[in-house]
Amino acid sequence: MNRLNQLPTLRIDPAVNHSLTYRGRTYQGVAGDTVATALFANGVRIFGRSLKYHRPRGLYSLDGECSNTCMEVDGIPNVRAENTLLENGMTVKEQNVKGSAERDWLGFMDKLDWMMPAGFYYKIMHKPAAIWPMAMKQIRKAAGLGIISADHKMKGRYDEQFLKAEVTVIGGGAAGMAAALAAAQSGRRVILLESRPHLGGCFDYRVSTTSDGTPLHERARQLAEKVKQTTNIRLFEHTSMVGAYNNNLITAFQVGKADDGFTECYIEIRSDSVVVATGCIERPLLFDNNERPGVMQVGCAHRLARTYGLLPGNAAVFSVGHNPGLEAAVDLFDLGLKINCVADIREDGQDPALLLALTERKIPVLKGWVATKAHGSKMVQKATLCTIDGMVKRQFSCDLLVASAGLTPVSGPFILAQAIMGYDDHTGYFLPDQLPEKMFPAGRITGINDPDAIETSGRLAGLEAASAAGADLWTKVAETRNALAAMPGPERGCKLVIAPVKGRKSFICFDEDATVKSVKQAIDQGFDVPELVKRFAGVGLGPGQGGIPGHNLPLFVAKYTASKETPKPTTVRPPLVPAFIATYAGYNHHMFKRTPIHHSQKADGGIFRNIGVWQRARYFTADVDCKEEILNVRNNVGMLDASTLGKFRIHGPDALKALQRVYVSDMGKAGKDRIKYSAMCNDDGCVIDDGVVVKRGENDYYFTTSTGRAGQTAEWIRYHTRYDNWDFHLVNLTDAMGVINLSGPNARKVLTKVVDIDLSNEAFPFSGYREFYIQDTIFTRALRLGFVGELSYELHVPSSYMQAVWDLLTEAGKAFGIRNFGVEAQNVLRMEKGHIILGQESEQRTNLLDVGLGFLWDRSKTVARTVGAVALRQAANDTGRLTLVGIRMEDDARPARDGSLIVDNKVRGYVATMRRSFTSGEAVGMALVESQLAGAGTRLEIFEDECNGVRIYARVVPMPFYDPEGERMKS
Amino acid sequence: MLGKRKPLWGKKKRLKSSYDAVIIGGGLHGLATAYYLAKEQGLTDVAIIEKRYIGLGGAGRNTAIVRANQRTQENVPLYKEALDLWPVLTKELDFNLMFNNCGNVNLMHSEAAMKAARMNVATAQFHGVESHLIDAKEAKALVPALNISEDITYPIHGAMYHPPGGIVRHDAVVWGLAKGAAKQGVHIHQQTEATAIHTGGGRITGVETTRGRISTNRVLVSAGGYSAGIINRMLGLRLPISVLTIQAMVTQPLKPILDHVVSSGAYHCYANQTLKGEIATGAHMDPWPNYTTQNTAHYIKHQAEALSDWLPCLRGVKFMRIWGGLADMTPDMAPIMDGNDPVGGLYMDCGWGYFGFKSCSAVGKYMAQYMATGNCPDILKPFHLRRYENHRLMGETAALVNYTPDN
Amino acid sequence: MALTLTCPICGKRNGYEFRFGGEDKGPRPPEEGLTPGAWCDYVHMNNCTAGVQKEWWFHRDGCGSWFTTWRDTTRNLEAEPPEANK
Repeated sequence: MNRLNQLPTLRIDPAVNHSLTYRGRTYQGVAGDTVATALFANGVRIFGRSLKYHRPRGLYSLDGECSNTCMEVDGIPNVRAENTLLENGMTVKEQNVKGSAERDWLGFMDKLDWMMPAGFYYKIMHKPAAIWPMAMKQIRKAAGLGIISADHKMKGRYDEQFLKAEVTVIGGGAAGMAAALAAAQSGRRVILLESRPHLGGCFDYRVSTTSDGTPLHERARQLAEKVKQTTNIRLFEHTSMVGAYNNNLITAFQVGKADDGFTECYIEIRSDSVVVATGCIERPLLFDNNERPGVMQVGCAHRLARTYGLLPGNAAVFSVGHNPGLEAAVDLFDLGLKINCVADIREDGQDPALLLALTERKIPVLKGWVATKAHGSKMVQKATLCTIDGMVKRQFSCDLLVASAGLTPVSGPFILAQAIMGYDDHTGYFLPDQLPEKMFPAGRITGINDPDAIETSGRLAGLEAASAAGADLWTKVAETRNALAAMPGPERGCKLVIAPVKGRKSFICFDEDATVKSVKQAIDQGFDVPELVKRFAGVGLGPGQGGIPGHNLPLFVAKYTASKETPKPTTVRPPLVPAFIATYAGYNHHMFKRTPIHHSQKADGGIFRNIGVWQRARYFTADVDCKEEILNVRNNVGMLDASTLGKFRIHGPDALKALQRVYVSDMGKAGKDRIKYSAMCNDDGCVIDDGVVVKRGENDYYFTTSTGRAGQTAEWIRYHTRYDNWDFHLVNLTDAMGVINLSGPNARKVLTKVVDIDLSNEAFPFSGYREFYIQDTIFTRALRLGFVGELSYELHVPSSYMQAVWDLLTEAGKAFGIRNFGVEAQNVLRMEKGHIILGQESEQRTNLLDVGLGFLWDRSKTVARTVGAVALRQAANDTGRLTLVGIRMEDDARPARDGSLIVDNKVRGYVATMRRSFTSGEAVGMALVESQLAGAGTRLEIFEDECNGVRIYARVVPMPFYDPEGERMKS
Repeated sequence: MLGKRKPLWGKKKRLKSSYDAVIIGGGLHGLATAYYLAKEQGLTDVAIIEKRYIGLGGAGRNTAIVRANQRTQENVPLYKEALDLWPVLTKELDFNLMFNNCGNVNLMHSEAAMKAARMNVATAQFHGVESHLIDAKEAKALVPALNISEDITYPIHGAMYHPPGGIVRHDAVVWGLAKGAAKQGVHIHQQTEATAIHTGGGRITGVETTRGRISTNRVLVSAGGYSAGIINRMLGLRLPISVLTIQAMVTQPLKPILDHVVSSGAYHCYANQTLKGEIATGAHMDPWPNYTTQNTAHYIKHQAEALSDWLPCLRGVKFMRIWGGLADMTPDMAPIMDGNDPVGGLYMDCGWGYFGFKSCSAVGKYMAQYMATGNCPDILKPFHLRRYENHRLMGETAALVNYTPDN
Repeated sequence: MALTLTCPICGKRNGYEFRFGGEDKGPRPPEEGLTPGAWCDYVHMNNCTAGVQKEWWFHRDGCGSWFTTWRDTTRNLEAEPPEANK
């Protein structure tokens, strides 16, 4: 196809060829083409087939309001070919066809529409019930547009930006540019977003002029030049706004150019104020076959010629309802399009200059006429025009039917920002009755069409937005408002809702093949408001998200139900423009904390797991039972990286009061050289944390929490003291200090090698706390604990020295068989000792008493109002609660799997943790059972998953299973 | 033009001055209860009072997943019965509820999670509900799009596979139940707001609405997220409920790619493919009470990051629409179904959080029995309100109760 | 994002930096003599106000302080306290 190569409005570079492959053939487009315009240039008119009826579909709006030109591009489905810039070497496929878009075997579906009235899915296909599963398979196959493969890997780099602006302008047409310039002149920091690859909006492709005679396309380029020269305007072209939220948070995404370094970029802007200059799209004209390829909107036809140099057809009929339609007819005629007739829905009110221009060109004009049918099975061949009362008809042959009922504002940003929308009778637009805070409309969205007024309204909105963002421009605002008032105001909109047709083949929503007839059927069945019609008949829920039916549906429902209420627009939801999941995800980095010796743990063969915010070594060999790790702790000595433990300092006059509030024990008994073990409960009496406390000085305590609670501990203590005005300070030392757990009968021998002080059992006994220097250098807090049931030192050292201490101990321990142990080995070791892990042997239904920690609770300190104490007191004598018990399998059976149920005719409890003890050889563990079953010796019936009716049995036995007197850990 | 109108749920009715029972809320639970009151309890003089339109609240905003693999024996039987009722209701109502029993694959990302899942699986099997633990490879065989590599935020260890679960077309359930209830004489009053509940002598005496007063001695409050506010405002009864906004979204429609409902607790994310071909995915709750149903930029991004990880092929798919609904959360993630305490004739069915859809059929059946007889059916007994002051939370979540509403 | 909060120390910040801490229910009641009903009312029961309510927030990703603020739960915006409470 020959391009109109010399137009000043072109946005293509005819000299630079790009090729694409479509249906096995290579086609040539040029730089600046979209995928769709390149195909159009090569004669492609049918781009795909519709969802239900497999009707041929072609170029309609050129702005992506419908799925007509959704295609698969380079393996990515549902790409809007009309908005996607052509890149050299692209491979393009049509969607939803059996055969080709041109010859689709499923085209006969179009004749079966009578079988598929609104809601037909609900009324058939379930009788008899057996057909439903088969029908469902067919529905699934038939539904959906594009195809994505399960192993598809999205190419490209995805970026993200989080920005702050004083004024954000959405839309880079004349109004938006004027707004941005006005706001920027006041010194505000401005961001301007334009969804097309270039600024200009509706001025960009038009040759009509401003009042001073400048052609609009030239004016657009002048403004764009100014915008680009203004340093406090950050311009984002090819950037679609997708979301607007409270407090003027705006989200958008930008499509990258070749040299941008990103494919697409997610953008989040916090803006003080916002100008909405999104302009208008066209309201589709409802008539029979209104989406037949060859039927297109005014802007589409006009831009094909002016922006891309492609004449949209050979012989055209126009059926329009607004002046831009007449303007396009005149201009396209001048560019070489034959026009057989222009029908204007309006009986009067046309721009006289445009009427004169049409007459001069001998183009017949029918006022008060409208298209009622496009003829032609795949492409338009003929159009029927009719008076709007339906009385007189005429037919015109044509291969292009330019059809539009008028304009409709792109009000999505207002709706997203929770504006209360109303209906403006004069323009026929849905406009905000009440504007969201600090959000200002500009340009055609307000109903005006006069070029000077568009610019002035942009300037006004820019000044208002700048003022709302702190500039004092109110005098200028008033002046500009007066100037605007003197200009032509909003034009009267075309009132026609639908051409005089029955509507069996008049499509109100293209994406979901919803016809006027199906909407009537929905209304007749009681779905008589747009929101319900939408759901029942399927309107506006497809890829275009209501761009096509958004204006017509409420108008039609109001007309058909003869409702007296003013029509209300249907809801618009983000994203306003469908956006890739890859784009929203952006960098998608994973964030986990690593302990100070992560790398040496890894080098030692550690197999890591993400636990909460941390990465921790769970195993050090492939043996998930960890036999060697466990036995080495029992027989020699092991080292565990326990740096993830929560570590805190609390100090100040009221520190003790705060501890008394959250810990169940009497924390007044915490001493200097001894550690005090205690627990925190929530208000229900459930244990949420346990740890140890040391008093390091007057009003100065050091305490530990479990790994999972470290992040919430400060918050928790401050929460439960928030009404008290107590004076204390909390310092989270978790990341400042690393922890090594050195455990096993040889632990003392190892530690003695690096420390100078007396470590004998008398000098540093079990439960003791000491501070010393390792190798006279490294300050160390040492706690003698017994979680794993052996002689054990927990060494807290500064994070920066953690690796050094670890290496020293590794060296010192060589002679004693030292080796790593991980979290799973620790899990088994502590289980043998009957020590619980919160969340593993406790849950929502168990309190402190139920899990056997009642001994920690000091009931006398009621004055402290300890968190959980009331619930514990009230539930203390309750029977039937889940209770923690030790269990051993009968008959030397294998251990029951964790999570197995304990049952009789009902569920009575479950196995929390169970392992074969490498020390005793027995299968032992812990279970939570109803208190009636908690007595020693009770036989428990265990129901495992996949047991096929075979039960296994265990008995309640005393805990701990290992070293019941605690001689080893106290030795 | 309007002569041929035959609304599915009957012509608009005059509001009578008295009904045997009044149901506040034209959502799934209210409609189901009304349907069963009429069908099984012979109580047909029933009014449903709906402020807006039926099914516009949680009923139309959830992503329609159904399953019966809960954690405790109090819950599993109720959800099992609900699951069994979908085909029955399809037949009874002569309305295709489009039950797609494609099965649910609930991913587990650690050894600890696998253990926790084993308890759910065992509980399901003990109650005759099919559910299995499977490993990562088996999960991948079911869901080829899964990323089971080690280099994602939460590597997949395995899954809980629950074949009888799936998805139901939520709107169809609303319309089918409305049709069934109306056919048996239930009056559905849309655009009618309850403004007060009257009591006398410790009993319900009537309901005030924007279209007039109704005298009745039985009221069910089943207004989803609005229930707790209504009960407090009209009767001065506070409930252990926090109302949060929960979000979900769909992608553009695709040819079949996901044959199951797939979910992950660690990623706070589920995904399934609707019959229309969209990938429906959610769900995050903003952890503070609000009645806005607003969605957030924060969440749609989070969701994209999560899906990029474990269903990476979806990176090439576009989000099309996000929305929010209300979830009325209780501290133990289990609902409150109670009656005649502390007000005679007052029934409540609320606190469902995000489980209201999957339970509605069975709950309607038993709440109807409760309301008709005044006696609580055994299956509903564990859900009474006083369990909170009795320190008997239900254990539906293993997580510990916290002071925030999203526990 | 659908919430911006004003921390008394850090100023206006993204709502996701904060953690919600419940409706304002007043200081902890004395432990002794508290009935199960009264305990439950303090610990679990909420007003579920649709409108402006006073509530606790914690600036988790900020200064780490607990503070009260008024918020309209139907608009998700900070609000002026109702006249009666001013």
